[in-house]
Order: sequence, then structure tokens, then C-alpha cells
Amino acid sequence: MKKAICLCLTFLLSLTFTGCREKYEKFTDYSFDYFDTATSIIGFEKDESVFKANCEKIKAKLGEYHKLYTIYSRYDGVNNLYSINTAHTPLEVDGKITEMLQFSKEMYDLTGGKVNVAMGSVLSIWHNYRTQGIDNPLEARLPDMDILREAAKHTDIKGLEIKGNTVSLTDPESRLDVGAIAKGYATEQIALWMEKEGITGYLLNVGGNIRTVGNRPDGKKWQIGLENPNGEESKKYSEYLELTDSAIVTSGSYQRFYTVQGKEYHHIIDPETLMPAKGYKMVSVINPSSAVADALSTALFCMDLNDGKKFVESLENTEVLWITEDGKKHYSKNFKDYIK
Amino acid sequence: MKSRFKNDIMLVSIILVVALILFLFFKFSLKTGDMVVISINGETAFKLPLNTDTEKTVKSELGENVILIKGGIAQIISADCRDKICVHHEAISKSGETIVCLPHKLVVVINGEEET
Repeated sequence: MKKAICLCLTFLLSLTFTGCREKYEKFTDYSFDYFDTATSIIGFEKDESVFKANCEKIKAKLGEYHKLYTIYSRYDGVNNLYSINTAHTPLEVDGKITEMLQFSKEMYDLTGGKVNVAMGSVLSIWHNYRTQGIDNPLEARLPDMDILREAAKHTDIKGLEIKGNTVSLTDPESRLDVGAIAKGYATEQIALWMEKEGITGYLLNVGGNIRTVGNRPDGKKWQIGLENPNGEESKKYSEYLELTDSAIVTSGSYQRFYTVQGKEYHHIIDPETLMPAKGYKMVSVINPSSAVADALSTALFCMDLNDGKKFVESLENTEVLWITEDGKKHYSKNFKDYIK
Repeated sequence: MKSRFKNDIMLVSIILVVALILFLFFKFSLKTGDMVVISINGETAFKLPLNTDTEKTVKSELGENVILIKGGIAQIISADCRDKICVHHEAISKSGETIVCLPHKLVVVINGEEET
């Protein structure tokens, strides 16, 4: 009798310890090499070497997309976005570029032109003024409206022609800028590849483009804290969300900006006013695809709240949180289902 | 017979008490065992316990950040980066929370048991 109880208890006790060995652990890897932002990869694996090997594959893919989609530098032997912007002739490019540009055109149509990858001529002016303003705050200036209006004459999306794998800009003054789409699109393509390869239980965060791939093996849901743009006046996170096989992308005016005479000017430029879009501190979009969520977050940032709400209601599987400049939160119909 | 039964109960309760103590010990040690992990360009540079007040200056060829751990929270109190987003970021304390300094490729993250 005594022996039996003893054995039973030893067995029970040992159970509580062995649990550790076969358990999934959470690993994180950071990288700063892609899309001019910080990337974090979170994954659950039993074995760290498996996680590391998967991260290497994911980062290799990110590197590949970065090289193809960058508008800022040339790479030997690669025709990328920079090449298209400087070619002035039709250029044969990788299918990953044509598919992304085709998707960009669809997003242009869907959002009534609020996301326009052919707006590079205008955006590059803002980019230059912003970079100079950050490096040299005392001499920070705003671009002249006349220069912006002149540049805006060369932003017709129809000038972007895609035939098979050949891309051309028919207007020689026109430039592509895929900043509102490329990160989210690349993240989505990599997530789809991971799903195909069976790499699940991961979360990708490419500079705020968050995409969960599969469920966590511990049965918990992915939890995402949305940073509070209202600063120190209240709590650190505006919302805790739970997501499964979904993406959330946030466009904010509070991170990439520069200051001119005490006033902040952020990086999301409204195609109509050619000025930084007004009205919001941030817009967060939940959609199964990080590519769609990325495009929509920029588009909604450039729409007023009522138009934005109506637009979101016309879309499937899309939920949005707007935080207006006064710090107030506004939700789409079912956004609250995702709040923890 | 009666005394044997008593002994059994004694044994059972001793084991249960030991199990309870071990359980509490592990739970307790995990809760206070949260670490502040500082990495530069993806490589872990420092691991500091969150429950010990310290000020750490982290230098790399990209620049300098000063991380303060005080009262169970960690924050970047100064940096020579151009945008100072990391300095304006609020203090962190829960597992999974991060502060990123993009220009310096620096990440401060809380590593612990509870997920965020």
C-alpha cells in the first residue's frame, strides 16, 4: 500500500518536471537590414537550431524582396525599382516586381487613388526635405507648393505600363515609390511561403507590418500591443489585440516625421493636398493579408473618418482602429472582437 | 495497522508540501527572473536582471544609448541618435515589450515567462 502510494506520487511529481523538455520555446530574432526598418521574427520551436535555420531562410527572402523593391539603391545584376525609375526605357524585371506593381494598381483602383505608387516625384521631394530637416534641424524647411504641384503633374498611374515581365514609365518625369505597399506585400509573400513550407507558429513584424503565421503551439493566441500614440498622458498601449492567421498594419504620424518651426510634419502625404495627411495620429488595419492591410492603412490615413468608415464597411474581413488627432479612438464595426 | 495508515498520510502530506514548495519556488523564481536583453544588430550584447537597478551605457560604432533599469522597469534615458524615438518611448516592464533604436540597430526587450 505504502509502496503503491509512493510510486504514484513519484510518478506525479516527475510529470511536473518532464514537461519542460518537450516544450516549445519562444525565440526572437532581430534584423535591421531590410526596408530601412527593424524586423523581428518570433517563433515557437522545440529546438533553437530549427528556429535559427528558419530565420535564415526568412531573412534571405526579405533580403531578396528588399533588393527588388528598393527605390534608393542599385544592385549589380538586379533590375529593381531603382532601375525602373532611372531607366527611361521598358525594362524586363523579376515577376516579384510585376506582381507587386499589378497589386499596387488594384489597390489604387480600390482606394480611389489614395494609394498611388506613381507618386514618387512628389514623395521624393518630401523625403529630401525631411532627411535634411532631421540632419539639420535649424535649417528644416517645407517644400515650396509650386514645386510640389509641378511634380504632381507626373503622378498618373496609367503611365505605369506592365506587359508580361516588362515595366515602363511612359512619362519620363514620373517616379515610382512603393513605400506604402512593398513592405506589407513582401511580408505577405513570405508568410504565404512559410505556410506552404509548414513553418508555422511564427509572427513576422517588419517595421510595424505584423503578420501571424499559424497558431502558437501552446494554444494561446498571438497578443499584439498597439503602441499608444497619445504619449505619456495615459497608458503605454492603446489596445491589446488577439490575432490568428491575420495581419495588422499601422500607419502613424508619430514616428517618421520632422519638425519645422516647432511643428511636426510626418511622412504620409495626401495625394490631393500634397501635404502630410491631417486628422489622425494612427490608423491600424486588420486584414488576413498584410499586403492589403498595408495599402489600406495608408489610404485610410488620407480619408476623412466618415468616408473611411463607409469604405471599410464595403470591404470584407477588414477591421480598423482610427486614433484621431484629439486622441479619440474610433472603431470599425467588429474591431472590438479582436480586443483582448 | 492504524499507525501504518498514519505514516502513509504523513508521507503523502510531506510529498505534497515539498511539491507545493517546489511549485511556488519555480513560479516565484520565474516571475522575478525577467531579464532585460539588449541587442545590437541582432546580436545579444547584454543581459541584465530587471529586478536590479542599474544604468548601462551601450556603445557601438553606430552610437551610444543609455539604458536605465529602476524599480522593475527599463527605459532608454539618453541616446545620440538623430530621431530620439527610443528616448521618447515609454518604459517597458512586461515580457515581450521592446524599445527599438533604429539608427543604432539596438533593441531592448524584456524576456520572461508571461507573453505579450
